[in-house]
Order: sequence, then C-alpha cells, then structure tokens
Amino acid sequence: MAHRVLSHTADIGIEVTAPSLDALFDELLSATFQLTSPTDADRAAVTTRSVEVSAETLEDLVVDTLSEFLFIAETEDQHFCGFRSQVDGDRLVARVEGDARPLRRDQASGAAIKAVTYHELVVERRGEEWFARVYFDV
Amino acid sequence: MSDLKRVDDVTWEIPPTGGMRVPGRIFASDALMEVAAMGEATQQVANVAHLPGIVEASFAMPDIHWGYGFPIGGVAATDIDDGGVVSPGGVGFDICCGVRLLASDLTVDDFRRHRDAIMANLDARIPRGPGTGAIAPESLVPKVLSEGAAAAVEAGYGWEEDLERCEERGTSQGGDPAAISEKAMTRGRGQLGSLGAGNHFLEVQYVDRVVDPEAAEVFGLREGAVTVMIHCGSRGLGHQTCTDHLRLMGQAMARHGITVPDRQLACVPVRSEEGSDYMAALAAASNFAWANRHILAHAARESFADALGVSPRQIGMRLVFDVAHNLAKIERHTVGGAELELCVHRKGATRAFGPGHPALPEDLRPVGQPVLIPGSMGTASWVLRGVEGNPAFDSAAHGAGRVMSRRRAKRERSGRQVAEDMRSEGVDVRPGSVSLLSEEAPYAYKDVDEVVRVCDAARLAAPVARVRPLGVVKG
Repeated sequence: MAHRVLSHTADIGIEVTAPSLDALFDELLSATFQLTSPTDADRAAVTTRSVEVSAETLEDLVVDTLSEFLFIAETEDQHFCGFRSQVDGDRLVARVEGDARPLRRDQASGAAIKAVTYHELVVERRGEEWFARVYFDV
Repeated sequence: MSDLKRVDDVTWEIPPTGGMRVPGRIFASDALMEVAAMGEATQQVANVAHLPGIVEASFAMPDIHWGYGFPIGGVAATDIDDGGVVSPGGVGFDICCGVRLLASDLTVDDFRRHRDAIMANLDARIPRGPGTGAIAPESLVPKVLSEGAAAAVEAGYGWEEDLERCEERGTSQGGDPAAISEKAMTRGRGQLGSLGAGNHFLEVQYVDRVVDPEAAEVFGLREGAVTVMIHCGSRGLGHQTCTDHLRLMGQAMARHGITVPDRQLACVPVRSEEGSDYMAALAAASNFAWANRHILAHAARESFADALGVSPRQIGMRLVFDVAHNLAKIERHTVGGAELELCVHRKGATRAFGPGHPALPEDLRPVGQPVLIPGSMGTASWVLRGVEGNPAFDSAAHGAGRVMSRRRAKRERSGRQVAEDMRSEGVDVRPGSVSLLSEEAPYAYKDVDEVVRVCDAARLAAPVARVRPLGVVKG
C-alpha cells in the first residue's frame, strides 16, 4: 500500500494504490487523517467507531466514507489513527472500524479539511491493484 | 490552454469549442496570466462555459487560480427562464464566505499603546481552528438560518445600523432551516461565532493610503485610522450543505438530461425541485455566514473597548461593509439588450454594484458598493468601489489569489519563521496553529496591488484605500 500527496494551488489531494479494495479504503482513510494531523505522537486509541456506508457508485462510496469519518472527527473533536475496512464492491457497501482518540488542539497541525470533492475523482482497478485519487477542499 | 487569445492589456478570451456554450473571458495582466496558466484554472474556465443556460461568458477575475469544478475567481450567470442551472460547485463548500471591515476612530499610536491588551483579548475571544468552539449559543442557530445577521442583532450581537452596511442587509431571503440536513445542523450548532481555519482571519489594520478621498469619506475611512477586517464563512454547516446537494444533483442531472465535464460542476435547473431545495438551503447557510461574521465583529468591538476601558461606540468601530465572495444569487442584468433574470454564481468573486444601484443603501449610492479585497497576511488589503459598466455581471476579485500550493509554502519556511518574519515587520500574530501559519505566508500569494490594478484597468472596480496589517488572529 502506498499513497502520495498531490499539490494543488489552493487545496490538497491524495493518490493511493493498494492490493485490494479493503486495503484501498484503509489507506485512503489513513492518508486523509495524516493530512489533518501529521504529528501522530500519541497513537493510543481510546475508542473504536464503526461506520456503514452504501452508495450508488464506487466513487460515491469513497466520498461518502471519507466524509463520514471527517464528520465524526469535526463534530466530536476526534482524530482517527487506524482503520479496518470491509468493502463489498458489488453491493457497494463499506463497513469500516476506525480507532479514535480525542483531538488535542496542538495536534491539529495539518490541513483543516472542509469537504471531500468530486474534482478529478478516480477509483478504479489498475491491473492487480486498486487506485484512487481524491481532492479535498481545505 | 493553447487557444487562449489576447483581447486587450487585461482581457483574454477562450473561444467556444466543443460543448462550450459561450466563450471564456479572463481578466489578467501578463504576470497574473502566468499564474492562471498554472494547474488547470483556464481549463476550468472553459468547463464552466458548458453549463446549461450560461449567458455572455464564463468569466474569471484577476485573482483566478486552480479550484475544483469552477476556478477560484470564477463568475457565471445562467438565464433561469431558459433552463439556466444552479451549481453548488459554483458557490463552493464555504457558502457565503466573505469579508467585513470595521473602521475605528483610533490611530496607529492608540493601537500601539494598547496593543498587548487588544491582541490578548482577541486571542482569547475569537474561537478558531477546525472543529467546535463558538461565541453564540446553539439555541440561536435555527433563528439565524431564517433571519441571518438580523437574528444576531436581536440577540445582542452588533448594532441595528450595521445591517444597512451588509450585502442583502445580512439576510438572504427564503432561508429555511428545514432545508438544512441534520448532519449540517450538527456541524453548525457548535460553530456560530467562529473563524474556522485555512485562509480565514481577523486582522487589525490601518489605512495607509487613500486614493479616492470622496469614496473614502463616504465609506468612513481616513488615512491612519485603525480598521478590523474579518474573513470567514458558514463553517461546517455550509460545507455539509454543499456536500449534501452536490451528491443529490450528481444523481439528478441524468433526469434533467444534463452532462458536465467535471462532476464537481453538478447542476440542475434553478426552476426544478432540486434547484428550489438547494436555493432554500443556500439561503439558510448564507444566513449562518452573515450572522457568523456579525457575531465575530461584536467580539472584536468588545475586545477593543475592554482593552481601552471605553464603550465600542466611543471608538467608532463602524461597519464599513460586509460582502460575500462565495454565493449564487438571483439578479437582473442586461444581456444583449434584454433584461434577464439570472442566477449569478460568484466563486471567489465579490459582488461589485456601481453607483446608483437600487440595492445599495442611500448613502453609498453616489459612489458605489465597497468591494473588499484582502491580500495575504503581512502585506496589504484593499477597499475598492463598484463602478458603472462592469463587464462581468457586477463582479470583482476577492483576494490576492494563491500562487503556491500549501505544501510548497510549508517547505519554504516554518510557521515559527513566518511568525518571526511578521513580528519583525511590526505585525502581532496570534495563530490558531503555528505550524499552519506558513501555508498562508505572504509568499504563497500573488501581489494584491497588481490584482487591484487589473480590477481598475478592466473596469471591474476602482481602488479607494489600502490598509496594512498591525495584528493578525489566524484560524
């Protein structure tokens, strides 16, 4: 699994490759929360949150899953530091567990993500791997 | 973009090709066009020209840069009687993000004498950064969604006369709390009266140059006076509202037979069920933003007054104007000799009504609407005025515009170094996050003076006064 951060004049994006759809979602979520809090000094998880998302397309499933965890993070002042995804690519359902801990303000040193965009959104199989590109509004 | 054609010193055109319904038109000097050509901003101008019902041109202001869907600095008007669409991406996630400017009777020396107390008060009283934290109680949110800044005034934040100096008197008509999703409400409840993060700020400034004394007098600006500029929007409530409706419109486009080159341009006819739902939600989220800036301005007034041991009215602190730069509004404009009802999208562009416009309060009509163009922190910002004959549906630039990505800006200098740079220039910085400060460093932005020069040359707006920073409270 790997991800890289994409430069954008005003905003920021990520590209992720992974050997499976489950791993792709894990890495997308991890990369997103590394953007928001790259200094991950305290990785002790205190709670586990479970989310189930369904959508009409794989692209929507990615956007909605990322949006759901960002929603929890913003409204409950949480940071997520580990994910376990089970994605049914046929039925377009994602079940994801995320390890959450309270966000200390001094740890919010990364991007403040407002939303997940559809701009140049890609989620596709490339040979033996899965690939996704997502831009965020910050 | 290869088929970009120069029209004059500050105007460029992209001729219609493929599915473009109108040309693209960009207002930029050579220097600003170099920045516009970076990334995909000019392609985005062309993409916007595909929107159903678009009239005249897909415009871009001098601070154009790469956005998502629309370019930042994009302006597009659609004829709603001819199937014209509304696109949440043409407003942006931060619905009704905008700027307000207060003018005090204080001099720079007055500020410097009380600087530590004023900045300490602002530091303590202005909630900022991501997540929750607010000045106003959650219970005020539903009323704010219907009534905007007027609800804030009724609750004791700000003054009644402030409303005269707000675009739309600080209330977008038709705001319906029921149009806001539960998720959006959850995000907004704990954020009414907060700056947020990113490029949002509260800045203490002074008027360093007046170039249009008559308009400056009308606006209440005099050389050497201390001002306060606030830049923020509708926080998570607006972000979620945009997300909700982008998703719905993405699904609805097929039913309306609409295709667009970028899904972030998802749109539906203004006169459709989905269009009406979005317009109601847009008005409600806009009302949150108008009230949000109003409440922050109230906190700024109190911060100054308490530091000086006086009442806010004793030191002026009058509202010069509050204007949005992320909004879609129904306005009447003349196109090809016919007066049309248009849905005007301004995505990182400021409304700029000229002299005599009936929407302006009587005292502003002789000179036109104040147009607020914040620069980067540490450099300068400008106050302009609307002019007659604006070629882009009464729109002007909204800021300096980024020239450098956030990542590259962070690599150039650390947040601590940027803070030291600014302090050495006499600017007291109170960042929400020191490490994020470098993302918003002056070198990450274009030259605001050049943006203003092009606004003037292109007859988008005319400069009135320049203000420079004394203290910055950053999100």
